Amino acid sequence: MTINSTSLAGIPPVAGPTAELVLRPTRVLRLPRSPKVIAGLVILGVFGVLAIIGRWIAPYSPNATDQQNWVRHVLVPGTGAGTGFPASYYPLPLPPSAAHWLGTTVFAQDVSSQLLAATQATMFVGLLAAAIATVLSVLFGVTAGYLGGGTDEGLSLVANVFLAIPGLPLLIVLADYMPSAGSSVLLVAAIIAVTTWAYTSRTLRAQTLSLRNRDFVEAARVSGESRVRIILVEVLPNLIPIVAASFLFTALSAMGAYVAIAFLGLAGSPTSSPPGLWNWGEMLREGFANNAVRGGWWWWWAPPGICIALLGTGLALLNFGIDEFINPRLRAAGLSRRTAKKAGISLRSTLGMTPVAHRRAVAIMPQVTAMRPEPSSVRNAAEPVLTIRGLSVDYGYGDQAVHAVVDCDLVLRRGKVLGLAGESGSGKTTLALAAIRLLRAPAVITGGEVLFHSKPISGEEPAGTIDMLSATEEQLRAIRWSEIAVVLQSSLNALNPVITIGAQFDDLLRGLARAGEVLGMVGMNAERLRSHAHELSGGMRQRAMIAMAIALEPQVMILDEPTTALDVVTQREILEELIGLRDRIGFATLFITHDLSLLVELADEIAVMYAGRLMERAPATSLFHAPRLPYTYGLLHCFPPLHGARLAMEGLKGSPPDLRDLPSGCAFHPRCAWAMPRCHQDVPTLAPLDGSAREVACWLHRGEANVPAELARPDPLPSGSGRSGSIARVGEP
Amino acid sequence: MKLGAAQTPTASTPVIPVLEGRELTKSFWVKQGRGLLAGKARVHAVESVSIRLDPGRVTALVGESGAGKTTVGRLLAKIIKPDGGEVLLDGRPAPPGRPRAYAAQVQMVFQDPFASLNPVHRVRHHLVRPLQIHHMASGDLEAAVDELLRRVALKPPAHFAAKFPHELSGGQRQRVAIARGLAVRPRVLIADEPVSMLDVSIRLGVLNLLADLRDRENLAILYVTHDIASARYLADTIMVMYAGQLVEAAPSVSLTDRPAHPYTQLLLAAAPDPDRAERPALAAHGAPPSLLAPPSGCRFHPRCPYVMEICKRQVPPSVAVASDHSAACWLHVDPNERRVNETGLPATTTARDLLDQRN
Repeated sequence: MTINSTSLAGIPPVAGPTAELVLRPTRVLRLPRSPKVIAGLVILGVFGVLAIIGRWIAPYSPNATDQQNWVRHVLVPGTGAGTGFPASYYPLPLPPSAAHWLGTTVFAQDVSSQLLAATQATMFVGLLAAAIATVLSVLFGVTAGYLGGGTDEGLSLVANVFLAIPGLPLLIVLADYMPSAGSSVLLVAAIIAVTTWAYTSRTLRAQTLSLRNRDFVEAARVSGESRVRIILVEVLPNLIPIVAASFLFTALSAMGAYVAIAFLGLAGSPTSSPPGLWNWGEMLREGFANNAVRGGWWWWWAPPGICIALLGTGLALLNFGIDEFINPRLRAAGLSRRTAKKAGISLRSTLGMTPVAHRRAVAIMPQVTAMRPEPSSVRNAAEPVLTIRGLSVDYGYGDQAVHAVVDCDLVLRRGKVLGLAGESGSGKTTLALAAIRLLRAPAVITGGEVLFHSKPISGEEPAGTIDMLSATEEQLRAIRWSEIAVVLQSSLNALNPVITIGAQFDDLLRGLARAGEVLGMVGMNAERLRSHAHELSGGMRQRAMIAMAIALEPQVMILDEPTTALDVVTQREILEELIGLRDRIGFATLFITHDLSLLVELADEIAVMYAGRLMERAPATSLFHAPRLPYTYGLLHCFPPLHGARLAMEGLKGSPPDLRDLPSGCAFHPRCAWAMPRCHQDVPTLAPLDGSAREVACWLHRGEANVPAELARPDPLPSGSGRSGSIARVGEP
Repeated sequence: MKLGAAQTPTASTPVIPVLEGRELTKSFWVKQGRGLLAGKARVHAVESVSIRLDPGRVTALVGESGAGKTTVGRLLAKIIKPDGGEVLLDGRPAPPGRPRAYAAQVQMVFQDPFASLNPVHRVRHHLVRPLQIHHMASGDLEAAVDELLRRVALKPPAHFAAKFPHELSGGQRQRVAIARGLAVRPRVLIADEPVSMLDVSIRLGVLNLLADLRDRENLAILYVTHDIASARYLADTIMVMYAGQLVEAAPSVSLTDRPAHPYTQLLLAAAPDPDRAERPALAAHGAPPSLLAPPSGCRFHPRCPYVMEICKRQVPPSVAVASDHSAACWLHVDPNERRVNETGLPATTTARDLLDQRN
């Protein structure tokens, strides 16, 4: 596979003079700016500030009490004057007032002061426990993962033992066993940390295991880096998001645990000896023990309860944010829905249905035009079966949209192979998959039309024309696979690993007799039906996929780099079989690849794509022997020949452009040796070249400039004789 | 740039190779089966491969995936230890383990530039670390980094030094990876499929850079690849591997123009070649064998169109078919000698007969 080198970052060309020398500060953890994260940060910030400055803004000491003024004295019924009993009063807490923002307790203490003190203690214990647990888990997890072998087994065993210990019960037993322990926040934090570190440790171990085998760690080893430095400098920074997420998670559960044991009275109360600290759990315990709920004194028990809930929510929200950061898929899903709404596109699309937006209405074509079925013998081999006109596809919406495919026309003809060549990121896969509406949002079709002229090869279905872009889901489902089949580069991984190949054919064909026959057509033994996917080599799996694709005798076959992951010999065998099948079944083929040299041998017609546009379209031999487009010319000279003298070749300078930041005018002009002033300004469109069957999008051929000799070679003879020639290499006299 | 400028070392001027692998053998153990009954099976990844790397020359190691070419590269880089055979640096056995002194001589470039650079570090870090480890730049690190980036044609250097890997394109990343390999001024560079993950239009640039380094800095380069056309373009010598064994070695042009081993012929026939008049008919089919239980005799015999009885029983010797062109194939063994080996079975065809049919 060729990796997409137009990566999402802005890339200046190699020789680009755009020196952007200002260094931007790095942010290792760049959280997505979603409302969730912001809310989480705000909540955490408020609590953090309160925890720090609480001591100074608290109106009173949390232990201060004023039995005279801070409670209401209520006469116990049946006592006092006239009853013969001495007047006896019981205290009632005061509701919130200016003097006591959150009222008082029955013990004549100020709730707000207690709450502020409790916030500090609770957060302190939570963060301390999380810090200890994180240090432990990083130490154990990363060491075990990186060193592997016996060390790994030993350390993992320790972690697993701790994992098996139920945390809270252990905490209760420990706190109860050492009554004074509860009063020491450090000890409480340590106990909580010891019971929570193991889970994170396992996650970190797994991550380190995968990082250890990454090439950059290997490269550091090759350059002689020491083991400690590799762990600290190369591996650990890559774990920061996970460490951060687990820190927050541990902090949350540590606070929960602290509150829980305090509520059970095991964390030492401020009145015990030695005294514990005020915390939310302790406040709740006191409240509940003294009828705060039944007495309706909500101001006593509600604030600590709300604090626990709020802080928990804040930490959880932040954790979601980190999750989205680690897992870009989640982020993309969230962002796209929002921006789609902003751009006014309703995304009610289902899986496997590319949404269509702002599309020009198709003028005359009704949805299904009934056509008289012709006998198959009369079928013209070169009649169009899939017509793509002016197709444009965006990724994203509104201002953020990336125009991946712009105004592309293609016609697939029966029994012909149309090759679509281009580098990664040029939009060739997007074009093909959008035409049959297989892409899912955020891909949006923004213009054009795709007509499928159906004339089933076998079967009872009526012939007709289907407008792919306005077809319903049902219509699409009816033609997909049975009439239009797709084989992707990754298809060999698309086989179900848990059932046999035969069972998967059975699903498709309802019967195994034909399955064996179809497998035979791609050079596989029918016995393979009993195999599972993992028992087959990559080539065999790709063959099985092709067999499935042809099983229903489709009219259109879309092959997207079907052999790129395979060895040359296997590739050649599969291509031979595909050509044979094409001749037998007569489907139209769209063959997508970056390997132009392969396409020249295989295709009848080749279309070259660059930066989302079709740039040249010509019969394969013409394109190879007499390219008209500078890009095609350059691309053809990127493949060293297998014969002749070895000569230095230059290939193409620069690298493919970033779709988000395309050059003005012709997107190829920064890499073009023959670029003219006009190329910097105007975008050339695909136009027929002086009456021939070929089309090219290049200003050089618009009659304004002298066409360079390299781009003006005579067209080869249309017969097969053209293939015997050789392209002139750069540097040849 | 001159391609193939370096001359083959001749017998009169014996050149000691910078790096040499002699009879390298390596097996891996894989788990077979599941649960308690899981056993271990031996994968014969590389079997007695001898290879030499000379200064100022590119040696290509060509083969299909699983042929063991990457393993040979890693054995020579001493990332893994051979089970048998030895690695010689300047004609002397290389010290055991992987000391830093060895790292300073032999460096490696990995296949995937998207994985071989640490995403959290800037380009500068990747180049500075080898310099620091090997105490190469005593003082002006910045100048040394600039110089390295200039050597791999990343200009302006200050601009690229401050970038993170994800801000670079594939070709630029691979240049950074090469620059990192060059930082310690090694004499050997082992490049494991350095262009296969790159876009077509930027592959030549990286290949030309390697050729340039060979010519200017007299670097010995091992170019591991599955693409025989690029091996022909870049390398002075091509060695073809099949199922863990070397099957043919020759100067690149003579190997591609006159392949002597049936497997090399198959590889060449299958390679895309637009200059061909018609689609090639493959003489052999099938896939490489499982290395858990490699075929007896010649490992290519189950696919070989010219298979003879002896091929199934005895490992073919390496035969010189021309000066500095050797192939491990019974077809090239003198029929009389073959008959001796074959114990009684007469040889009916000669190698030339068969191969002339093909060419």
